[in-house]
Amino acid sequence: MSAYAKPVEVLIDELGRLPGIGPKSAQRIAFHLLKADRVDAQRLADAVVELKEKVAFCETCFNVAEGDECTICGDPRREQHVLCVVEEPKDIAALEKTGAFNGRYHVLLGAINPLEGIGPEQIKMRELALRVAQDDITEVIICTNPNLEGETTAAFIANKILAPFEVKVTRLASGLPVGGDLEYADELTLGRALEGRQAL
Amino acid sequence: MKLATVWLTDFRNYEQLEINLDEGFTAVLGPNGAGKSNLLESLALLATLKSFRRAPTDSLVRKGADRAIVRATGIRDDREVLIELELAKGRTRAQVNRQPLKRTRDLLGALRVTVFGPDDLALVKEGPSVRREYIDDLIVALDPPADAVLSDLDRILKQRNALLRQMSGSGDEASLLTLDIWDDKLAAAGEHLTIRRENLLVDLMPLATESYRVLSNTEVDVVAFYNRSWDTEHMAEAVADSRANDQRRGTTSVGPHRDDIVVTVDGFDSRTECSQGEQRTLALALRLAGHRLLAERLGESPLLLLDDVLSELDPDRARALLNSLPPGQTVITSAQGLPPDTVPDQVLEHRGDRLEVVKMNDLD
Ligand SMILES: [Zn+2]
Repeated sequence: MSAYAKPVEVLIDELGRLPGIGPKSAQRIAFHLLKADRVDAQRLADAVVELKEKVAFCETCFNVAEGDECTICGDPRREQHVLCVVEEPKDIAALEKTGAFNGRYHVLLGAINPLEGIGPEQIKMRELALRVAQDDITEVIICTNPNLEGETTAAFIANKILAPFEVKVTRLASGLPVGGDLEYADELTLGRALEGRQAL
Repeated sequence: MKLATVWLTDFRNYEQLEINLDEGFTAVLGPNGAGKSNLLESLALLATLKSFRRAPTDSLVRKGADRAIVRATGIRDDREVLIELELAKGRTRAQVNRQPLKRTRDLLGALRVTVFGPDDLALVKEGPSVRREYIDDLIVALDPPADAVLSDLDRILKQRNALLRQMSGSGDEASLLTLDIWDDKLAAAGEHLTIRRENLLVDLMPLATESYRVLSNTEVDVVAFYNRSWDTEHMAEAVADSRANDQRRGTTSVGPHRDDIVVTVDGFDSRTECSQGEQRTLALALRLAGHRLLAERLGESPLLLLDDVLSELDPDRARALLNSLPPGQTVITSAQGLPPDTVPDQVLEHRGDRLEVVKMNDLD
């Protein structure tokens, strides 16, 4: 039996599916929107729709992109033959802020995590192998998160995916907080880590 | 660090309590059910954030209250340290000198504690997991960052087992390649922890023998054998050898999680061949050995909490314990009073609802 009008119930249910939002927060946001100006609510709705209509993943690197190609892949000034492999598009934003990297990216859209049912097939691993084979890549910098799943993914890339290729493989140097996410590392640490990367 | 003043608010049976602790030996007396162990539990929480009775946080909050507060000041290197804990349903917050802690691990080191309680007989009598936990706790107490090794290993096992179950006996190429990586991680972390445990035992057992001899007034030897779940030179080979078996069973059969520590007293297996009295003495000797090792290595004696230990020991051993307490701050609870020749620096006694100071050190 529902305590609220149907549209409220539906919205709470939808909000509750978002990451990091529990039933209580979903309820609070729903009632906040109920009280909000129509214009504000409309703007939020439009932003969500526009995101799905206009933005997708880059066909080459799986960064977010307006259209088929992201701004980084479309930028001729970026070094063609150096790839930085990250887990999520948000990691690109963190690395770009450092200004220490001028190559291109490859977003895996996840990390190897059997507990969540994610293996190499579920992330963009095959696509990475294809790019390295086709694009004359000379160096791959692995920038997966410094936690167990990120380290495992890094080892998989270095030992399995890149083993057949003559390519320099480096790992983001230590100094990053262990067990953390790239996006929470500050720019200076991240920049230093990039410069001090180590061969695997 | 030595505790100076402790305040409890809505903790277990205590609505409000303020006590000043002596720097030396404090005895907490009173009938069963008066709350003596609750007081000890609050002191241990200040060091570990966990109940040594394995009680969930909810049960630490006094009935009818929504949160419990445990606060204490202490002195470390001549500076005052303030530790504050707020315990509420499903949430524990800790502050040291008014700075909130990000991780539990950050609390380790502010105050260190050794607890011996009635449940510690399990250390000798129960299965291997209790002894592994005893060793691992000591490793982390000596070196807090080692906590990461333990939690990594735990997660590696969960991930590897999840993968093994998904493969259900066979597995495609990608799964097999992924398993290679988890095997590497397992072998590296597993071998590392195994060696640390073995090294720790080597340092620990002479102290355990010494403690056992003092308590029992005998000349026996206490020896520990670390039984690895693998016998190859490196763990990686054993992991590779067991792969087919592990795949069939969907679980990891070699590693520190399958090892046992067998402790013998004069050659007799303490778990199966010793009397209950010998087992109690050994459990206490093992705790005291850990305590002394921490004191030696860290240059500072942890707070020693002995919960209801006297009722479990015969009079000679009880007296031997109290007369050989290691230096440092010690709090002991007893429902039956103390042996006649024991002179604590401070006695706190439960009388009705109140906890009263009945004797302070006359030497001051
Ligand atoms: Zn792109």
